[in-house]
Amino acid sequence: MSATTSRAGRTTAGIDYSKLIQPDRVHGSLYTDPAIFAEELERIWYQGWVYVGHTSEVPEPGDYVRKSIGPQDLVMTRDKDGQVHLLLNRCAHRGNLVCEDARGNSNSFRCPYHGWTYRNNGQLLGYPYNQGYGGKGKLDLAMGSVPRVESYRGFVFGSFAHDGPSLAEHLGPAAGEIDRLAALSPEGEIELNAGWLKHRTRANWKLLAENETDGYHPQFVHGSIFSVTGSPIGALYSDKSTAVTRNLGHGHSENDLRPEFRNFAEPMRWFGTTESRVPEYVAAMRAAYGDDAERILIEGAPHVMIFPNLFIAEIQVFVIQPIAVNECIQHATAVQLRGAPELNKRMVSQSIGSVGPAGMLLADDTEMYERNQHGVEQLRPEWLDLSRGMKRERVDERGLTIGTATDETGMRGFWSNYKQLMEEGR
Amino acid sequence: MNDKNVHGVVIGSEFAEIGVIVDDEGNGPRLRLEDRRTGRVRHVDALELEAIIWLPEGHLRQLLDPSADRWREDIGR
Ligand code: FES
Ligand SMILES: [Fe+2]
Repeated sequence: MSATTSRAGRTTAGIDYSKLIQPDRVHGSLYTDPAIFAEELERIWYQGWVYVGHTSEVPEPGDYVRKSIGPQDLVMTRDKDGQVHLLLNRCAHRGNLVCEDARGNSNSFRCPYHGWTYRNNGQLLGYPYNQGYGGKGKLDLAMGSVPRVESYRGFVFGSFAHDGPSLAEHLGPAAGEIDRLAALSPEGEIELNAGWLKHRTRANWKLLAENETDGYHPQFVHGSIFSVTGSPIGALYSDKSTAVTRNLGHGHSENDLRPEFRNFAEPMRWFGTTESRVPEYVAAMRAAYGDDAERILIEGAPHVMIFPNLFIAEIQVFVIQPIAVNECIQHATAVQLRGAPELNKRMVSQSIGSVGPAGMLLADDTEMYERNQHGVEQLRPEWLDLSRGMKRERVDERGLTIGTATDETGMRGFWSNYKQLMEEGR
Repeated sequence: MNDKNVHGVVIGSEFAEIGVIVDDEGNGPRLRLEDRRTGRVRHVDALELEAIIWLPEGHLRQLLDPSADRWREDIGR
């Protein structure tokens, strides 16, 4: 039977991703077709590694926080032995939501519907009036859990696949960017305990993921925050910049601003300040790292998008949660560095200025995401161009593809990984 | 109850809310625990608290079974 094409890439035999995703352009339906979104859930969100939460959010036994993998509602818990679990927030009786609060401390959970009670590892402890089931312990039921849970420097990822690549394989060189972030703490540890802001965004999740390392837009979209704060960051995303956009593989990418910061060789410039303004922090760093502190303080924090949903933007962490083909939630928090109270306070106030309810960074991006979603829903010209900088890409000393600060090298890396995941085993 | 000796807190979660007071009414201190959802009260003395601390994990889990004591068919029969 021959398949007939009804519209670009759509045949009676299914969706042909090799038609929709080309090296220099992608088709608009990738952002608007509910059938594609459904396949993404199965092949990306309910299959591969997805960032869920940070161990610092459940520091004590009994701590729990509500988290998600796409539309799946999860409870991240820490049991009495210190182990972290990812439970699906669904009662094994009739499927009620078990936990409602965003966070709390409880070693066991009682479903409010009929009182079934679970240990915080998902084990069923019992149910009321047990004669209806023939007595105690008669049901072999439990809360569902994410089968694979691994963490890297406290960043907890989950995978619904029982086997597959390890988290280390998935992260590849992107792990080094998490290391760079941790190195900014005198104790080498990150904490994500400053609280989360949630922004509901009427846009497909991929528009966000692609934008995170798009160095082409900041000069336009973020002009107001750069001018108000006198930030030197804007200039880093110009065509004269020596910063690079790097494809880190597996859909991960970064804007590597280090070449620019190395040129200036000023500690704390990456943070928009000087050593003398944060003397305690700098002293703690020099005490912890010795001669290497200078390099760490000059090079600053990473700007990396870890496929499919974790964006580390220097001083903030964003998590992208897709809800529907045209809707997602952006979760944002300030990075906190262990042993750096002086800097942490500034990180929180800078984050409020950029991603808070009246913040000037995320609101500008989100305006673009929603306009972008509306735009791609229009029928012509069908394609989104992805060719910027294709002809000037190079391979760096690690064998990774790099483009200039404003090139779409990161997006092309995103799409080649996406295409592979969507076509695998077909 | 003598007000100056009352130091109350609520240990609460989305699952339960217990008012906790150190009760000095007797000849020695004890905890007064109140289930704020039902008003049911229990006083717990030092030796009883010690027993809770020494309860093995498995034993505690058994007590958390809703059918263990509170919600069972034979209660009140
Ligand atoms: S649905 Fe949870 S106890 Fe019935
Ligand atoms: Fe009812």
